[in-house]
Amino acid sequence: MKPIEVDHVSKSFGDTKAVQDVSFEVEKGRIFGLLGPNGAGKTTTIRMVNYITLPDSGTLLVNGIPVGQKTQKLIGYMPEERGLYKKMKVGEQLMYLAQLKGMTAGSAREKIKYWLERFGAYDWHSKVVGELSKGMSQKIQFISTIVHDPEIYIFDEPFSGLDPINSELLKEIIIELKDMGKTILFSTHRMEQVEQMCDDICLFNNGKVVLTGSLRNIKKDFGKNTVLIEFEGDGSFIDTLADVRVNNRSTNFAEIRILNGLNSQEILKKAMEKNEIHRFQLVEPSLNEIFISVVGEDNIKKQQLEELKA
Amino acid sequence: MVLKREYLTRVKSKGFIWATILVPAGFALFIGVMIFVSVWDSEISYTIGVADETGMIVKSLQEIDDERYTDVSGLSVDSLRAMVQREELTGYVIITDDHIEGSQSLELIFSGSGGLQLLTTVRSDFRETIRQERLARAEVSDDVRAIFESRVALDSRRLTREGEEREDDTEFLSGVGFLMGVIIFGAIFGYGGYIMRGVIEEKTNRIIEVIASSVRPIELLTGKMAGVGAIAITQFAIWILAFMGLSAVAGPIAAAFMSNSEQMGADMAAVESEIPAFLDLPTIETSLIVYFIIFFLLGYMLYSSLFAAIGSAADSETDTQQLMLPVTVPIFIAYAILFHAMRSPDSALSVIGSLIPFFAPIVMVTRIAITEVPFWQTSLAILLMIVTFAGTMWLSAKIYKVGILSYGKSANFKDLAKWIRQ
Repeated sequence: MKPIEVDHVSKSFGDTKAVQDVSFEVEKGRIFGLLGPNGAGKTTTIRMVNYITLPDSGTLLVNGIPVGQKTQKLIGYMPEERGLYKKMKVGEQLMYLAQLKGMTAGSAREKIKYWLERFGAYDWHSKVVGELSKGMSQKIQFISTIVHDPEIYIFDEPFSGLDPINSELLKEIIIELKDMGKTILFSTHRMEQVEQMCDDICLFNNGKVVLTGSLRNIKKDFGKNTVLIEFEGDGSFIDTLADVRVNNRSTNFAEIRILNGLNSQEILKKAMEKNEIHRFQLVEPSLNEIFISVVGEDNIKKQQLEELKA
Repeated sequence: MVLKREYLTRVKSKGFIWATILVPAGFALFIGVMIFVSVWDSEISYTIGVADETGMIVKSLQEIDDERYTDVSGLSVDSLRAMVQREELTGYVIITDDHIEGSQSLELIFSGSGGLQLLTTVRSDFRETIRQERLARAEVSDDVRAIFESRVALDSRRLTREGEEREDDTEFLSGVGFLMGVIIFGAIFGYGGYIMRGVIEEKTNRIIEVIASSVRPIELLTGKMAGVGAIAITQFAIWILAFMGLSAVAGPIAAAFMSNSEQMGADMAAVESEIPAFLDLPTIETSLIVYFIIFFLLGYMLYSSLFAAIGSAADSETDTQQLMLPVTVPIFIAYAILFHAMRSPDSALSVIGSLIPFFAPIVMVTRIAITEVPFWQTSLAILLMIVTFAGTMWLSAKIYKVGILSYGKSANFKDLAKWIRQ
């Protein structure tokens, strides 16, 4: 029995096929990353897991139960578009949201107190949310997501709009939840966040899953075929290389993906002709690079590509 | 849960408390002002100088109102003019035999203060006294004079279907019916707008998706409607109680005020019986109140489901204008029919209007108050409203479900049609 099983799920809005035949499984006690550019179908998939949107076809299981009102209570969900009632007091608001998730008033009160104290926010208990600063209300948002102590946590683009302090706080929370044996699924269009945190990933593009599996295995499969080179001098040698793809190029740094079995030493040789080499390293490709090579450069819209590189 | 929150947060909000207090307070103030006006009004006195060459008219005038008319006979026109200019007199009238014998019209020379009411009073006083004087001069017999003074009254009594004859209070009930129609009109707008703003608030606060991950959108929608509906009933209950309490207190107070004013001292008895009659709510039949509540609730549900759909489709309150149109137009048509229904409650337009679900809550209640509406009509109206409500609810649930999760732009009617078909 897996925490989340998505099996051949499709969903269209009018003529737009938002999600097409998507399948993946989330293992218990692991952090699962849903990746892909904006508009790839991540949020729609997440909403279907949360029983907010219903699929046109396919099945979704949470803890082995088809999604429904019962499974909603098992999930703590923080949507990308998030907010709170501005005119409601912090305490009352958390109480309301916890009770909507099926908690009793007594245990909700206890949990709210625990988390508010944990975040040093107990003084805000009787404050109206509208009076709080943005950072403060983000903390209240975290609490509202986790207060009912669910088994499964789903965060949609959790780091967007967070200030650096809260970003760190959220990372800590996610790691802590994982250590407690909880299952976490989050989506992001920023690949580097996934590299730091995820155990498993699922890559989305244009409503389809292009790659899924454990991050380590995926990287291993791609092999050490990426060169990181740091140099001083004339960088024009990079333009002369054939059968490579250049990512992250700057005046004295380049990430070069070798495509057709070109010997990495060739690159080093060429580089040494006119440059002083500070660093030369063969590494596993970045997720960004993996995404591009899986989807194929031509299949990624130009704008999305820029987004990925940003 | 949703119902409870909607109810409690709103009941506790300052706006609710103020509205609940202010509306009856405003009402009390209004009634108070009305009473004061009727009391103080008669005490403002104008002095009209009457230069009477006949010597008869001024006496009868003074019998009518001793304070208003003073005898200035013998003073010259110039000094009268001066007195008006010095404001010792409001105005003056010179009466000669010509006015009584002939048909020469009288002239009131006055400073302009006093307005229409003064003119009307003075005109009728003079007409009365001069007519009397003419009758006296013509030496008409008392019989003729009595005929002349007699008035034919029309008392109306209602014969109910049960064969019972009742006092007819059509005028009073028309007022009540009209008031009820207006209250429902205002309440549908007020509470419907409440719902709409609530939905928009949840959307702009971006809390809607958090809630949607816990409850079904339809539950949220019905909970919200029920919560605001409960508030409406609470508010009505408070007002009706306040109104009853007020009318119980206001009658004696008004009477006490009246007794202080000397002019009306004699009319005390009449006043006492009159004031409670115009404040007395309990004389309204309970069945009318029941119908009022039924039609209010049905109308509220019908329109609030639409208002909720509008709220979910709009991105901000300012964007609702275009979408509001199809909802506000029927309400205003109903409001227009209401005026017609008050005058002729049994006309074809009134009957048809009171059956059309979108007009029924406003028009039917007015008709029920004023006239005897056949049972089949009320039940048909109620039935049609329930059916229509099921339809609008289904429609708005579809719009709501999609609307709450679409951010960024307000939908137009084409989008809505697409959402419904999904």
